[in-house]
Amino acid sequence: MVNKLIKEDTKMFLTGNEVLAYAANSAEAEFMYGYPITPQNEIMHTWCKLLPKTGAGFLQTEDEISAGFSTIGGILAGKRAFTATAGPGNVIMQDAQSMAEMMRIPFVCAVMQRGGPSTATVIYAQQETRLTCFGGNGEGFRIVYSTAGHQDLYDYMIKAFNTAWKYRFPTYVLADGYQGKMREPVLLYDPASRGIKMVPTTKALLGEGEIGKDRKSAHLRNTYNMEEELMEVLEGYKADYEKISEEIAEWEEYKADDAEILIIAHGIVARSARTAIDELREQGIKAGLFRPITIRPLAVKPLRAAVSRAKQILFTESANGQLAQMVLEKLYGLTTPYSTLFKMGVGVTGDDIVNKVKSMAVAV
Amino acid sequence: MSRTKIVLAGEGGQGVQSIAKILVEAGYEAGKQVLYIPNFGVEQRGGVSIAFCQIADEKIGEPRFAKGNIIIMLSDRAIDRCTTYVDENSTVVYDTSVCTKKPEVKCKEIIGVDANRIANEQLSARVFNIIILGVLLEATKVLELSDIKNAMEKALGKKFDAKPELRELNYKALEMGMGLINAKVEA
Repeated sequence: MVNKLIKEDTKMFLTGNEVLAYAANSAEAEFMYGYPITPQNEIMHTWCKLLPKTGAGFLQTEDEISAGFSTIGGILAGKRAFTATAGPGNVIMQDAQSMAEMMRIPFVCAVMQRGGPSTATVIYAQQETRLTCFGGNGEGFRIVYSTAGHQDLYDYMIKAFNTAWKYRFPTYVLADGYQGKMREPVLLYDPASRGIKMVPTTKALLGEGEIGKDRKSAHLRNTYNMEEELMEVLEGYKADYEKISEEIAEWEEYKADDAEILIIAHGIVARSARTAIDELREQGIKAGLFRPITIRPLAVKPLRAAVSRAKQILFTESANGQLAQMVLEKLYGLTTPYSTLFKMGVGVTGDDIVNKVKSMAVAV
Repeated sequence: MSRTKIVLAGEGGQGVQSIAKILVEAGYEAGKQVLYIPNFGVEQRGGVSIAFCQIADEKIGEPRFAKGNIIIMLSDRAIDRCTTYVDENSTVVYDTSVCTKKPEVKCKEIIGVDANRIANEQLSARVFNIIILGVLLEATKVLELSDIKNAMEKALGKKFDAKPELRELNYKALEMGMGLINAKVEA
């Protein structure tokens, strides 16, 4: 067991990376594996700085390939392990992430998106949206929470551990360099004080008792000989994933009930949309927001309902429509017209959205 | 609802991020809503370093903004990079003793300060950024001098305790920075 540092409600002024390290501790994480890459380094720096007090563990591996597989190794050894990465690191960690998907490992990873493709910028983007949801040679049986600020980072990092350990799909907190590096106030708390019960860490291998008598043998495979054998397993995963999708899907609406122009945005861009919506409403334009919090799986029913109510849709992202592609697939059959405001690797400001929505309102 | 949007830009190593941290820490301790994003390139040293700071009375939505109320430009490259954040409501401050040109922008007011020269000739090159912090404090008027001093104590208190003359030096730099704005306004 590790020592939990946050025992009562504590208001702090932190960077998002620091928040994530505290959140992992509050979620009773025991071990972090990682390799440095901007803009997520301070997650491991903070985690390490806290080690003397938490009694947790850390290993800096030689690269992200190793960090990903080591995380799996740690979990197989019975530890509540996690990792964090960004950009090219997220790319080369996909092999391990696919393995976690295949072996149903409760793999928790914080992704702090930076610009792409390749090294690009070290600062900010939403260009790892597709990669985090569907990277690797698999089907995207993953759960991805997209956060919009420090309170979200704390809340959803804790939740990510519970989701991963309960459902055994790789679970991600998808944020970005702005959230990682920026400072804003946040309220840290002990999950128990909010009625959150942490799903216990259980041993995947070397469990208690005798195999065949006290417990079933653990046979975790990432290799299959027969094509049909693989499909049978994956059909089971797919059924599991679809069964839980509705119960884990989360979203947030802001003034969406009577919105004529519905903005669909995730992460920190959704926060800029809120600023824009307040300004647009003051000018008499009925704008609203639908923000998927889980971008994988999406909350399809509420999404379709909100889109059906609106006259027009605006997709806005710091990417070239990575979320829009995923959403549009779920909107099949609806005919609500849509516009786009995509800024690849660049922050979307409230003013950007105000100007775009005003041009859409004039067009009607 | 009041929100002050600040862009603070200079060369890497000028201490832009250090004073941004002190500024937002001061705002946080004063009970304001604050949000700060550091922005820099892949270089260890050099390159343009920008700090986006917001200080508000109510919860802050957008983390990045299109136009700032106060834009501080501490090098030629910072002028080039940050002109985009200026509009007719912005106050632009630039350092005449570092920049070789004047920002060509349409704005409410352009103020030239020679903080770098003053730091080098009268105080110490190391407190250049603290002079700028004084300039910023006076130009924004959303925080009190005591808020900034408390935040400086939190960031630099250990160094100050080891060398008390550093505290005096930094306070002096802060006050001289504030004076630079006042002198300009009176002129």
